[in-house]
Amino acid sequence: MEKAADFHYNAEQNYDEETIIQQREIEKEIAGCQDLVGPKEDFTTLDREFEHDVAFLKKIQDVKQRYRRFRRIRADGNCFFRAFGFAYFESLLKNPDEFKRFQDIALKSKDELITLGFPQFTLEDFHETFMQELNKIETNKSIEGVLQTFNDCGTSDYIVVYLRLIVSGFLQKNEDFYQSFLDGGRTMREFCNQEVEPMGRESDHIHIIALSQATGICVQVDYMDRGDGNLISHVFPEDSSPSIYLLYKPGHYDILYKE
Amino acid sequence: MSNIALTRIQREFKEVIKSDEVKNCQIKLEPFEDNFTHLKGEIIGPPDTPYQGGKYTLDIVIPETYPFNPPKVKFLTKIWHPNISSQTGAICLDILKDQWAAAMTLRTVLLSLQALMSAAEPDDPQDAVVATQFKQHPEIFRSTASFWAYVYAEAPRNEKMKEYEEKLKQLQEMGFHEKNSRITALSSKNWDLQAAMEFLLP
Repeated sequence: MEKAADFHYNAEQNYDEETIIQQREIEKEIAGCQDLVGPKEDFTTLDREFEHDVAFLKKIQDVKQRYRRFRRIRADGNCFFRAFGFAYFESLLKNPDEFKRFQDIALKSKDELITLGFPQFTLEDFHETFMQELNKIETNKSIEGVLQTFNDCGTSDYIVVYLRLIVSGFLQKNEDFYQSFLDGGRTMREFCNQEVEPMGRESDHIHIIALSQATGICVQVDYMDRGDGNLISHVFPEDSSPSIYLLYKPGHYDILYKE
Repeated sequence: MSNIALTRIQREFKEVIKSDEVKNCQIKLEPFEDNFTHLKGEIIGPPDTPYQGGKYTLDIVIPETYPFNPPKVKFLTKIWHPNISSQTGAICLDILKDQWAAAMTLRTVLLSLQALMSAAEPDDPQDAVVATQFKQHPEIFRSTASFWAYVYAEAPRNEKMKEYEEKLKQLQEMGFHEKNSRITALSSKNWDLQAAMEFLLP
């Protein structure tokens, strides 16, 4: 690839290929230094990350008052889905009733998605892996097992894909209501093709609302942004009691723990 | 190749072979030398397009990270189309780039390429020369595209091609011996003999 200084943009040329190659290189670099799902840790490294950033100091204090530990998720554009999936699977270890409820929803989701027109053969593939990993929770009951599932690149990404498909299916099924959230005159189908289904595409409010609604899983997100004031929390869906907690820093999600 | 990619490709293979499109000879897929990371695809030019009846061979490379990243696909058969490079066969199609999703398959890709042949997107071109002609001289674009289909993809011949062949012959008599360069020059210059000649001169 050319060095930046020697680079002259040529409008006739197509740079897509080079853009993709460069993205893959950046991904590899990140993959080399960070687990997909890291260990539970205290906030020392978070302090260090923002020690020169006054805007965040107050927010970090708030985080520390409300939570005891956190877990870092690899920054690869899939962090919301991976954080949500891991935190929820982890929470199921101690909650057999919730496990039964979700297992039932997950089982039924396949036919629903096929009805919505997703290709049956690939959908079955992702669904099968998802169910297989979910069912391990019941038989293994160990956090090591969940960590293994989510740190095995292929399996972990299969789960991310299936969660993305659930979001896409939910949004398309409820297009009438969610259409008003979209900007740029896109149809819901276009939005899902461009912003939901492709791997590595970052998540916004609409993804979070859709995933929590579709699965009936309640999530609280604490937003660490540059704004003044305290750490702001949102619960999805509103007025319910969260079973998982995520920390949002601009462009990224990690998992928070009260204990 | 990772295990996930290999298992998936093998399953996709069976899927494509059983599909209706294969039965109707619309698409074809086979490995290059028994190697699932490098495949050869074939699509038939769709009806009511300049490519009708042409046979187009595709080079398909499966990345290590498949199906989370798209396959790399290019045309091996030369084609005159705004979204496909007339020189390299490189393709500009959203699902082969940032809109690829892991739920898609090689069958999806082949059918999307057929759809692209029916409905070009000149505002998002791969080949700027072809795209300009497509917009400014749609008639010339259509007859040029079907001429390329006849010459390179075994599509049927029609009357209009006599005129083009005549011009190609004239260029040859002027000493331009390389056939592909002559076709490219005349096609790029809207079959203006004088302009094509200047294009070919060093």
